[in-house]
Amino acid sequence: MTRISLTVNGKRYERDVAENRTLLRFLREDLGLIGTKEGCGAGECGACTVLFDGLTVNSCMVLAVEADGRAVETIEGEAKDGKLSDLQEAFQKHHAVQCGFCTPGMIMSTRELLHRTPKPTVAEIKEGIEGNFCRCTGYQQIVEAVLDVSGQLEKKGELRHA
Amino acid sequence: MLHGFRYAAPRSRSELLDLLAEHGDHAKVLAGGTDLLVNIRGGNMKPGLVIDVKRVEGYGGLAWDPAEGLSLLPAATINDVLRDKRVRANFPLLAVCAQDLASYQIRNRATVIGNVVNASPCSDMAPALLCLGARAEIASARGSRSVLFSEFFTGVKKTVLAKDEILERIVVPASAAGTKGEYRKLKRINGHDLGIVGVAIARKNGSLRIAVSSAAPTPVLVAGLPGTASVDEAVAAVLAAVSPISDVRCTKEYRLFMIETFVRRLMEEMK
Ligand SMILES: Cc1cc2nc3c(=O)[nH]c(=O)nc-3n(C[C@H](O)[C@H](O)[C@H](O)COP(=O)(O)OP(=O)(O)OC[C@H]3O[C@@H](n4cnc5c(N)ncnc54)[C@H](O)[C@@H]3O)c2cc1C
Ligand code: FES
Ligand code: FES
Repeated sequence: MTRISLTVNGKRYERDVAENRTLLRFLREDLGLIGTKEGCGAGECGACTVLFDGLTVNSCMVLAVEADGRAVETIEGEAKDGKLSDLQEAFQKHHAVQCGFCTPGMIMSTRELLHRTPKPTVAEIKEGIEGNFCRCTGYQQIVEAVLDVSGQLEKKGELRHA
Repeated sequence: MLHGFRYAAPRSRSELLDLLAEHGDHAKVLAGGTDLLVNIRGGNMKPGLVIDVKRVEGYGGLAWDPAEGLSLLPAATINDVLRDKRVRANFPLLAVCAQDLASYQIRNRATVIGNVVNASPCSDMAPALLCLGARAEIASARGSRSVLFSEFFTGVKKTVLAKDEILERIVVPASAAGTKGEYRKLKRINGHDLGIVGVAIARKNGSLRIAVSSAAPTPVLVAGLPGTASVDEAVAAVLAAVSPISDVRCTKEYRLFMIETFVRRLMEEMK
């Protein structure tokens, strides 16, 4: 066991963790933040995406001990005072959520994208979510949601609905 | 559940080298973890000690020295390379190869050094480093040495590194600045995928270098071609140097066909 201290969604935590515990398991099982999902556990699907010092990472491939002194943000940090975030609302409005399993990871990836590129092109949005698999929506609705929050819904025409 | 191990995050180089000298035979270095943690999870690696190098002082990011060139340090991630303007200006081939590696969030963690030490035949950074004549600066408590990447890979997932050694720095020589380069990687999908084959071409001052991934037990470099080499000469030299196999991704014949196709296309594009 190693003692770690970190912030998650702005809140400070101090915990003893086993060295072989992933950040994903730590968030879900030790902190009870079960919004972050485990799909593949091996970097392929992006369901476990969280922000780690402001950058997206696959939390299934990060050790909890590596998070000592770091700031982590998860899907639970999106809604404030019971009100959904702009991204969450846009996902809802554009039907970018079906089964919802990919959604927490998608939102974290698109959140980071919007931090670094407030008005992303369609190609930049696709690159931003290339590591996030969605088996339901076909992605178009997700791209539309991101175009909408960034005030560029007119670019929707660049998307082809199959 | 990951198999149990101890964890150390040394702050100084001497602490790191001591740890490796003492525990090297059962320790694994951790950089971005995108290969190591997957290997531990899959039961392919069972280290007793995991040594995180990201907190060692002086091991972060990239450094530039006009005389020596570009240094990539142990914590330098693929996205650090992509965000660096000096890389894009001087060594565009590094950026092109980096852009094709895995997905955005993996690139936030995956390091260039981890990629070459992992020594997969399909490494996307190896072709760029081979074409640019980069070298590995290796250190241990016993001393330091310097190895060109053309001598670094010894087999599938094997390198010249001994168990107590650390790859401390990749140096891309200043003399390679301004090299024009392109990389073509064949994947099953447009998104993130490991390569089926990859071909990099670099041209500078009348010299032509071609590197190929996923085409032999190690990444392959074809150096010493004159800048005036014809397309057919380049194809012949590359096909003589590779020895692809058939595997789950595709057949040997398809690999040979696509290597030739990519060499031809890149030679035409980069006349
Ligand atoms: C879903 C997925 C997709 C991927 N796609 C690609 C791809 O398209 N192309 C590609 O090339 N790779 C790909 N990879 C592989 C991987 O992401 C890269 O090889 C990455 O660059 C490894 O870097 P890392 O920092 O994560 O390495 P780690 O996992 O931290 O380390 C890799 C190996 O290097 C050793 N090591 C690390 N640093 C040092 C050092 N300084 N000195 C000595 N030894 C060291 C470790 O002990 C370990 O054996 C993919 C991986 C995943 C999970
Ligand atoms: S659970 Fe982490 S990438 Fe799939
Ligand atoms: S909504 Fe079901 S996986 Fe994306």
